[in-house]
Order: sequence, then C-alpha cells, then structure tokens
Amino acid sequence: MATASRFPATRSKSVAATAAFLLTATLSPLLSAQTTSLPDAPTPSNPELASLNPQPLDLAFFTADPFQQSTSQNPAPPSLSDLGLTPDQTKADPDAQARLDRRTHMLKVHQKLGLLTTIPIAAACISSAGATPDKNSYGNTTSRDVHVGIAGLAIGMYGATAYYAIRAPRIPDSGPARGGIKLHKYLIWIHAPGMILTPILGTMAFNDIASGHKPTGIAQYHQAVALTTAVAYGASIIAVSWPIHFPHHGAQ
Amino acid sequence: MNLRYASLLLLLCPIASAQSDRSFILDQSTLTYHMTHPIHEVDGVSHAAKGKGVCHTGQCDFLLAVAVKTFDSGDSNRDLHMLQVTRGAQFPIVTVRFRLPESALDSPNLDCDLEVQFAGNTTHYAHVPFHQVMEGNRHHITGTVPSTLTDFKIDPPSFLTVPIKNEIPVRVDTTWSQQ
Repeated sequence: MATASRFPATRSKSVAATAAFLLTATLSPLLSAQTTSLPDAPTPSNPELASLNPQPLDLAFFTADPFQQSTSQNPAPPSLSDLGLTPDQTKADPDAQARLDRRTHMLKVHQKLGLLTTIPIAAACISSAGATPDKNSYGNTTSRDVHVGIAGLAIGMYGATAYYAIRAPRIPDSGPARGGIKLHKYLIWIHAPGMILTPILGTMAFNDIASGHKPTGIAQYHQAVALTTAVAYGASIIAVSWPIHFPHHGAQ
Repeated sequence: MNLRYASLLLLLCPIASAQSDRSFILDQSTLTYHMTHPIHEVDGVSHAAKGKGVCHTGQCDFLLAVAVKTFDSGDSNRDLHMLQVTRGAQFPIVTVRFRLPESALDSPNLDCDLEVQFAGNTTHYAHVPFHQVMEGNRHHITGTVPSTLTDFKIDPPSFLTVPIKNEIPVRVDTTWSQQ
C-alpha cells in the first residue's frame, strides 16, 4: 500500500515538471527579452555554499531568435555560396578583363595586317617571274627593282603583323594552345626564318645578277626559300581558320 | 511518461516538417553553346556547372551556375576571345534561376521561366520547354535555351571581318539527384 501511494505523487511531480518545461519553452523569448533588464543573481560569498550552488539553466536552445526560426521554415532560394563557389571564384577581375581586351585588340590588328600582307606577298611571287634574267639581258634591272620593292613592302608588313602577335599580352593559366592556333604557331618556325632568309638570299642573287652571272652558292635557293615561306604563310592563315565549314555542307 | 513523449514530439514537430522539404543537387551537366559563322560552326562545351534546388510549400527554387572560362570549343585562342567578348573576367559566372511548382517535378515535360545572368546582364526567358526522364531519384533534364548575343548586349565577334550570327542557343543536359 505504501508503494502504491508513492506512485501518484511521482506522477504528479512528473506532470508538473513537464508543464514547467513546456511553459519555459513557450515563454523563453519573453524571458530572454527581460534578462537584460534584470539584475544579476546574488552570488554566495561562502565557498562551501558556492560549491552547493546549482549551475544556471542553459536557455540557449529555448531563446532562439523567432525570426531565424521562421526563415528556417521558409528557406531562401539557393545562393552561389550554397553551390560551394568561393568569393574568389565569383569576384570580378578588372585587370584580367583589361588584359583580355588589350589582347583581343592587338590580335585583331594582327589578323587584319596579316590578311593585308598576303597582297604584297602574292605580288612579290608574281613579280619574281620578271626578276629572273633572260640570257644576255643581265643589264635590265627594272623588273628586278619592282620585285625588290614589292618584296620589301611584304617584309615590312610581315614584321608589323608579327609585332602585334608578339606584343599581345599572355593570359596566365590559359593552358597550352589547342586547336587550329597550335598549327598556326608551329608554322611560325617555317615562315619567320623564311622571311629573314629570303631577302638575304635575294640580295646575294641580285648582286650576282648585277655582276653579270647567274646566282651561285646558297643564293640560287632564293626562289625555293621564298616560295616555301609564302606557302607556309598561307597555310598559317588557313590553320587558324580550320576547320572551315562550307555553307552547302550545312544545308545537307 | 506518455505526456513526456507527447511534449517532446510537439517540440520536434517543426524540425520534422522542415526535413520533409525536398532538395536537389546537380550531379552531372553538359552545357553546350552553338555559334554560327559563314565558314565556322562551333560548339563550346562545359561540364563544370553546379546546381541546387530547394522545395518548400509546394514551390521549388533552382539555381544553376557555371564559370564562363570552363567552356571549351576545342580552340584555346577562340575560348580566350569568347572570354573577352562576354566580359568573362569581369562577370565570371553565368547563373540560371528558375522556379517550378513541386507538383510539376515529376512531369516528363517542364515549362520553365528562366532568369539568366550573363556578361553583366539579366535576361528572362519565358516558357522554355525541357524534357525530363526520371530514373529512381535521379532527374535527367534536357532542353535548349534560345539565347542571343543581343539579349546580353554582347558585340558579335567577327572572323575575317565577318561577324557571327546573333543566335547562340545553349543546349542543356543535366542530371539532378534528389537528396
């Protein structure tokens, strides 16, 4: 009987504790609002009493900001940080943009000059037919002078074209060249030395002809070097345009 | 004791309801822009997009983001020009946001209103159709965004002095998994 009479007492304590717990949870925002205006609880000066003083109840869980609670119930749309993108990845880089702008501008000039340079190169190739001396006509220099003038213009324009490509700013972390630009760059190793060697051999050949005899030694290779250079130059233009899509292929 | 359990359940109820919201993560993606020039047809591809979708109270908000510099057209020189003309260093990320009713998520055809931020400009595309195939909790979504250069105030780049076409459709092939 004694045991049976203790159960209702325990149960009533339990109910009271639960009610107190729920009440604390409900009123916790109010409690937290009032804590700032309430004075601190007195602390016991006796160390023995202090050791008996119970730890204050941690109300952090119950005093959560009601606004935060409502936002967690209405989650905001995903943001870039939710995707794991760091500010470094998303921030603007005006210096890099300026570098890209300058690069594009210089390469556009390179492209236009390069296309225009094909005209004097082609003209130099055509005029070379008249530059070769016929038998016993070594004294006629007009056609050779025309060829030299046109070739000089071609070399000057080629130099200007190369300048704009060389001086265009490099873009860091852009990786190795891929695609048509790769072959375009490889072909530089043929037409750039060719553009230096061709006028040197041409001058030697010119002097040989002016002396009244056919070009000898390496001067006799002037024409071959010049043609190789011109072909490599043309191939370089096609390479950077590759692959070319012809409109009728698309129609099919 | 039962009252304790009931009160604990009462307290945890909001947490339980918050966990019932669906969210989606972009698993795989292939975004492809198509550029047309009289002598060139070019596709630039990126597999580096990131995306997330969050559903709440019957509405789902999605965000998809991709760095402009991750598009690869097979030619590094062209890619750098693309980065310049689209102001990709100034505005490095393309974002696509759209909202769908949660009830539409299981439909094979999705009608999306997209908000695209690109090259410092924002453009809305209404009623863009997407096709969806579901495999378990994975949603494979494909479609094409009918974007143009003028939508984002991009000067058309030219090659051999001839400009490219204004239309730059972007093909979207994404796989989202439900969390």
